[in-house]
Amino acid sequence: MNESELGISSGRSWTTRRDKKARQLAKVEKLVKGRIIPADRIVEVLENLIVTGDCVALEGNNQKQASFLSKALNNVDPDKVNDLHMIMSSVSRPEHLDIFEKGIARKLDFSYSGAQSLRMAQMIEDGVVKVGSIHTYLELYGRLFIDLTPNIALVAADKADAEGNLYTGPNTEETPTIVEATAFRDGIVIVQVNELVDELPRVDIPGSWVDFIVVADRPYQLEALFTRDPRLISEMHILMAMMTIRGIYERHNVTSLNHGVGFNTAAIELILPTYGESLGLKGKICKNWALNPHPTLIPAIESGWVESVHCFGGEVGMEKYVAARPDVFFTGRDGSLRSNRAMSQVAGQYAVDLFIGSTFQIDADGNSSTVTSGRLAGFGGAPNMGADPHGRRHATDAWLNMITGESQIARGQKLVVQMVETYQNGHAPVFVESLDAIKVGHDAKLPVAPVMIYGDDVTHVVTEEGIAYLYKARSLEERRMALAAVAGVTPIGQQCSVEMTEQLRQDGIVALPEDLHVKRTDAKRSLLAAKSIDDLVKWSDGLYEPPAKFRNW
Amino acid sequence: METLTFKFNATKSVPKHAYVGVVASGDLEILLEPSKEEKAYVVVRTASDGFGETWKNLLDRFFAVHDIAANIEINDFGATPGMVSMRLLQALEVCSSEKTER
Amino acid sequence: MKKLNDSLVELNARERAKAMLDKGTFRELLGPFERLESPHLSQQGIVPQSDDGVVVARGLIDGESAVVIAIEGAFQGGGIGEVSGSKIAGALELAIRDNEKGMRTRAVVVLDSGGVRLQEANYGLLSISEIQSAIVALRKLVPVVGVIPGKIGCFGGMSMTAGLFSTLIMTPEGRLTLNGPEVIEQEAGIAEWDSTDRGLIWNTIGGIQRQATGLVDILVEDDVAAIKEAVQAAFRSEKSNEFRSSQVDFYLSRLTAIDPTKTLTPLELRKMWGAEASMGSVENTVKEHIENDAEEVISRGKIWFKALTGISNPENGNVPAVLCADHELDGELVRYIAVVPNPNSRFPRARHGEVGLEEGWSIAKYVREAIEEDANKEKRRAIVAVVDVPSQAYGYKEELLGIFLSCAASVDAYATARYAGHPVIALLVGQAISGAFLAHGYQANRIIAFDDPGVLVHAMSKQSAARITKRSVEELESASQKVPSIAYDIRSYSTLGAVHELMTGIHADEPGKEDVDQVLNSLAAAIKIARKSPKDLSNRLTSNNAATGRAASIKVRERLAKVWN
Repeated sequence: MNESELGISSGRSWTTRRDKKARQLAKVEKLVKGRIIPADRIVEVLENLIVTGDCVALEGNNQKQASFLSKALNNVDPDKVNDLHMIMSSVSRPEHLDIFEKGIARKLDFSYSGAQSLRMAQMIEDGVVKVGSIHTYLELYGRLFIDLTPNIALVAADKADAEGNLYTGPNTEETPTIVEATAFRDGIVIVQVNELVDELPRVDIPGSWVDFIVVADRPYQLEALFTRDPRLISEMHILMAMMTIRGIYERHNVTSLNHGVGFNTAAIELILPTYGESLGLKGKICKNWALNPHPTLIPAIESGWVESVHCFGGEVGMEKYVAARPDVFFTGRDGSLRSNRAMSQVAGQYAVDLFIGSTFQIDADGNSSTVTSGRLAGFGGAPNMGADPHGRRHATDAWLNMITGESQIARGQKLVVQMVETYQNGHAPVFVESLDAIKVGHDAKLPVAPVMIYGDDVTHVVTEEGIAYLYKARSLEERRMALAAVAGVTPIGQQCSVEMTEQLRQDGIVALPEDLHVKRTDAKRSLLAAKSIDDLVKWSDGLYEPPAKFRNW
Repeated sequence: METLTFKFNATKSVPKHAYVGVVASGDLEILLEPSKEEKAYVVVRTASDGFGETWKNLLDRFFAVHDIAANIEINDFGATPGMVSMRLLQALEVCSSEKTER
Repeated sequence: MKKLNDSLVELNARERAKAMLDKGTFRELLGPFERLESPHLSQQGIVPQSDDGVVVARGLIDGESAVVIAIEGAFQGGGIGEVSGSKIAGALELAIRDNEKGMRTRAVVVLDSGGVRLQEANYGLLSISEIQSAIVALRKLVPVVGVIPGKIGCFGGMSMTAGLFSTLIMTPEGRLTLNGPEVIEQEAGIAEWDSTDRGLIWNTIGGIQRQATGLVDILVEDDVAAIKEAVQAAFRSEKSNEFRSSQVDFYLSRLTAIDPTKTLTPLELRKMWGAEASMGSVENTVKEHIENDAEEVISRGKIWFKALTGISNPENGNVPAVLCADHELDGELVRYIAVVPNPNSRFPRARHGEVGLEEGWSIAKYVREAIEEDANKEKRRAIVAVVDVPSQAYGYKEELLGIFLSCAASVDAYATARYAGHPVIALLVGQAISGAFLAHGYQANRIIAFDDPGVLVHAMSKQSAARITKRSVEELESASQKVPSIAYDIRSYSTLGAVHELMTGIHADEPGKEDVDQVLNSLAAAIKIARKSPKDLSNRLTSNNAATGRAASIKVRERLAKVWN
């Protein structure tokens, strides 16, 4: 058979998606002015462009939200457009769930639902939201190119020009990924922009990927999520930070890493230039980062600790600072940051030695979750970072350091560190017999419990009591005991006797502060290279411009 | 507010008193004074009622390792057990060090 | 590493006190192991602190003997209770004694306080009035320096105290105001002040704005060395007689130039009151409020002012809410001052008898008038404060324009009069609440009150106090059974020892001639006793009731005196 015979015999069209797109575009021809949708006609345009049952990717993550478009979608007539299949990284705004109540949308694939987690759990239980799956960021992006390719993308950019080229600048994040998946398989890309300009500072997304631009009535919602006020860092955080630097970063030569967001990790960032310096560790650890532009990293950058930082997203107030440090950050020709969530997630999963983060609950086997009773928060990126990527082949000191066996084909392991106080505020133990996630998953009829990080991926657990070197444990029982030894007086911690702890210390599986030569009375706020937001501004020579809600002057 | 008292046998003496912490949200103050008796007495006043068992477990563990002869007064304003342990060990470091501060 | 400031804000009270003193000279008085904690907190199920949140330290500043007092903001928001307040007042009183004896002793107070500790309420107010009285006396002998580094800042009655210092130093992070934004929002609504707007908060009451509008002396970075230098400079400068709280005409003329019907932004105020604005008296550009409410509002304050002075139509001055008249009693002239409702007040937040911006300064004006007129007389006329004040005025403009200072001005005036030999008598005929009472009446050397359900003394309205201490009104009332200082009724209050006479059988709302005569007799008797007694407020601690009602205040002072030197 030759090729033409094959084509004829199948008798089918190979352009159904393209044809559908053409039909939809024709419907709005009179409503739009070329590529431009007049802001006051956005609802009408959406009603004509979106077809019932369409797969719609609505941009929104924990920082940046296509807030104008999400409001517009919430205002379409459910009789005209309904039963949509939504793809959202983050369910953050009330209208993200309102559209399900109205019937505009029916099915949801997502990653994270921070602020809406309580309502989300309820709506799933009530059957109002039909969940496809809860993903990590990276797998959701992956599925955009496999089996969840959008018909419609609703995204946000800072600026556009007349050709539809987009400038997304420091907050590029996931916009290119969503647009690419949509544009190259004949979906329709609609972009809200803060302004239309003649000349862009740089092109982050080419105009040929974009179908429509709408100038929003107000700038897209942007939250400063990675700013931690040093004022709120306690001696406890500092003690744990000291232990982590000595007992993990120094011990294993950790040079590349990702920090979760929290006061614990902010404390590490802030004592590198003081405590880390006093240990002579500059240039030896913490050089290459996959990290959002944390303001608390400024002192370490300024004192020469940091070689490079690749960012998932931007951070409000850090724009000028980042632009002035192009040796460290990834910046465009215009000088400003280029973030990219998908790329940074890949980097954070495969290219770094260590991930360290906090959680709400850990069970006896080291499984952890931020899902607590009644709240279905989802995952975001932590499970990617907090997992040993079995596809990794390049070796580093830290990775090799995790080898414990004698085998000829032993491989290294990523350091996955959980850093928690044994109790949360309000006396809720962090170490629990059974994760709340199991019940929440059951109530929401999820196929598996929403575990954030699986115990077998965790190499170290740091608490105010000490460090458990779980990767060194020789048996499951020893692993449990090591975890219990640092679990304080929680029910889990009570399972480890004083004698057992002593044995584990001798075997090097558990280290207490004294074993690491960390004095508790040295855990003082005076160790913080910056003690306030104002100090961070000073470190940055005034380049960091904190939002008003973080200012105390 | 709940007042709890505990008594432990002690063998180690400490050279001087120690004062650490503050009665602030999530924190506590500890006043530790050496005792001539071979006993440790602990009086806890805590803002969080109903955690007597946790306090007992915590102090049992502390004195199992550090059986110091001392009178210890704790004024707790909702500190987590982790915070309490850290402050106790800080007080221990202060009262055991030979340096006097001023 | 970059050279960063050595932060004072960072430090706790003990470290702050230490930082103010010459190296190696810090000696704490009544420290944690003395265990002088509040006896009132544990009674209410609240965990106390062993030093009650105030550090008193002796030592040297620039080589000269000094006392430094630092308030711990982390404990109970730096709220002033009986023990903590008495530590402050007692230390200042001992400093007065030393300086009077020619032993020069410098005094520094590092402030970090939300004001009165509501769980001790009237003890807090009493202590604060005593602290204020001590500062007015001490600053004539030696500079008294206040520092507001920041974190809590300085609020409530302690903001009025701040208005009395010889020199007041702030950092940009410090905040200084009578009522905090949350209180204003609660009392007057979010339209008056959105308490979540941090930018607006610091622009209104932060150190930069306060210094730029001349309401504090020195703005200094949060750096221990810089603050220490500013403190030492304040002692070297010796500009000890130009107290801001005494500049009545200047501030009254400034206020007259404000048009309360228009919005006023912090920046606009900086232009009007900043260094570039003329420091002389301000042109009077605003017309009097014309609109006149025909209906006269009756209040106990007004009723009794008329009854005691015999004036049926008291002549109004520029600020009609403050009534003032001299009237003969027992052969001598007595000045009566009352704050009454003025529905036509230029400032809308001060129309129901509250002590507002103009009221505070006007009281000061009338009191100072008497001081000046009697300056060369052997017998200084008595001043009677007729007290019926529901509260201070709650409003954004009030705080922006420095109501804390306006209230400090009347405190200053009353205390100055008392020290000059004017018997000052407070006659409690109605409500005596919070900052309003501190400003108008609390500096009296004798307090007379009607034993009447309408006579209420407290730090805050019941509803607000319940909200802020996170208790229900019922819980609050049941707690007040155990702790009289948090009760509202005058009988409970009188057990605290500050009431000189509790008058029974007076018809407070409709006094007859007999009632009036009885009150006049009591006033005359009180004036006579006051003339023979010490000019400070020590009589409050020597009364019969004080032995039990102020036991902790007395004990703190005794213990302090023992370890002072």
